Amino acid sequence: MADLRIDFAGIQSPNPFWLASAPPTNTGYQVQRAFEAGWGGAVWKTLGEPVINTSSRFAAVHFGGQRVAGFNNIELITDRPLEVNLKEIAETKKRFPDRTIIASLMVEPKREKWHEIVKRVEAVGVDGLELNFGCPHGMAERGMGAASGQQPDLVQAQTAWVKEVAQTPVIVKLTPNITDITVVARHAVKGGADAISLINTINSLAGVDIHSWNTIPHVGGQGAHGGYCGPAVKPIALSMVAECARDREVGVPISGIGGISTWQDVVEFMLMGSTGIQVCTAVMHHGFRIVEEMIDGLNNYLDDKGLSSVMELIGKSVPRYSNWGDLDLNYKVVARINEEHCINCNKCHIACEDASHQCIDMLTDAAGKAILQVREEDCVGCNLCSIVCPADGAIDMIAVDTGAAPMSWNQRNQIISGLGSSYSEVEVG
Amino acid sequence: MSAFAEFEEERRQIDSLLGQGYTVAGIMEDLDGARVKFIRREQPSGAPVELLLLTADARKHVTAVLHGGTGSVKALEAHA
Repeated sequence: MADLRIDFAGIQSPNPFWLASAPPTNTGYQVQRAFEAGWGGAVWKTLGEPVINTSSRFAAVHFGGQRVAGFNNIELITDRPLEVNLKEIAETKKRFPDRTIIASLMVEPKREKWHEIVKRVEAVGVDGLELNFGCPHGMAERGMGAASGQQPDLVQAQTAWVKEVAQTPVIVKLTPNITDITVVARHAVKGGADAISLINTINSLAGVDIHSWNTIPHVGGQGAHGGYCGPAVKPIALSMVAECARDREVGVPISGIGGISTWQDVVEFMLMGSTGIQVCTAVMHHGFRIVEEMIDGLNNYLDDKGLSSVMELIGKSVPRYSNWGDLDLNYKVVARINEEHCINCNKCHIACEDASHQCIDMLTDAAGKAILQVREEDCVGCNLCSIVCPADGAIDMIAVDTGAAPMSWNQRNQIISGLGSSYSEVEVG
Repeated sequence: MSAFAEFEEERRQIDSLLGQGYTVAGIMEDLDGARVKFIRREQPSGAPVELLLLTADARKHVTAVLHGGTGSVKALEAHA
């Protein structure tokens, strides 16, 4: 059995599975139940001046029979006084001293406000702090959350103010509602951040009721944008984690967040540079006990890979994540249809004919049986047929040898530039 | 004509010129494709030949030929 312990910016945790700052970490009762189930850590629901929340807060996007493909919320930070939360944090830490408790914090962008809350929270024995510069709704209208997180200089300044007094590691949580997340990540590091966590939720409106014309959700007939999370956002989160992981100017541990629901998702985030991960929506959908399967699955995976520690996964795929201009233009894959698995539904033919390069023919074999066949020379290797195919194993994408040396777009441009100015000498016509 | 057939025809023209002793002297790309200037290695001052390549694979092929070492050094030397 592999060692699942992680060292995250100096914070020791029995496993990489942390609950994200969100409704499941609202109270000591909930966090203690989570720890009983096996979660290695929890980021306590954001502490700050207690808010008043609305009734009707969540909405989900169901897609193709999958419930909660995406999740939207307009709930704000804690609505309970700081002392109540701190008392429960202390109780929880006392009962589970080996588990990680991180306090998520959000106050106005004023130095004295940050100093006050950091000192009061650290006094009860948290293992670290997470600065919430990501919440996109409600608090942002008050100049906090994403409103702070979208201004790199403000992220840097506030991080520095926290670091002036913090005794524990400081994690800066980043908003995805920005053009280039690495800019903010770099400013967090300049401010002294020991780690970053990403992503927070994405600006969203879950839907509009076409019968009542109300937004989903609505509060007495009025709606406001919320924060989107859940499985649908995972690719966006993974991309942003990868961008930060490969940026040398960032260079601090990453806590990966965004649509993580299974142990396989955890492996992906760790391979792409996360030292640990945080989960929210999957717990809201299925409960704390999903961690049991995540722990078993990760353990078995590490054993199968012959790895003794989960830390060996961190960042292994980062060198494989590059710029488009550095990809090999001479690498080629083609689709091959395996007749023994093909159910002749023709979805691949339709997809190729209507949306790709018209290279899958509907034929009849010598025995009169309908078959689908790829004209490999015309196949560009787009993968669409294998994506839409409903039959496992019916279409393989096979790498073929083009006989050409690897050549990227950037290399090609260098070659053309090397030929360069001579072209103007010839008359074009 | 299939895309592959279009490429094959353009590749045949490229390879034919290279086989006749031509080398790539310049490539200019614009909205209409890639205009490739070929000159004879032995007679760099002679009349150039130009191909307008339309297919992506042919535009890739002509630079892959140079990149692969079969023509790039010679082409650059010819224009040094």
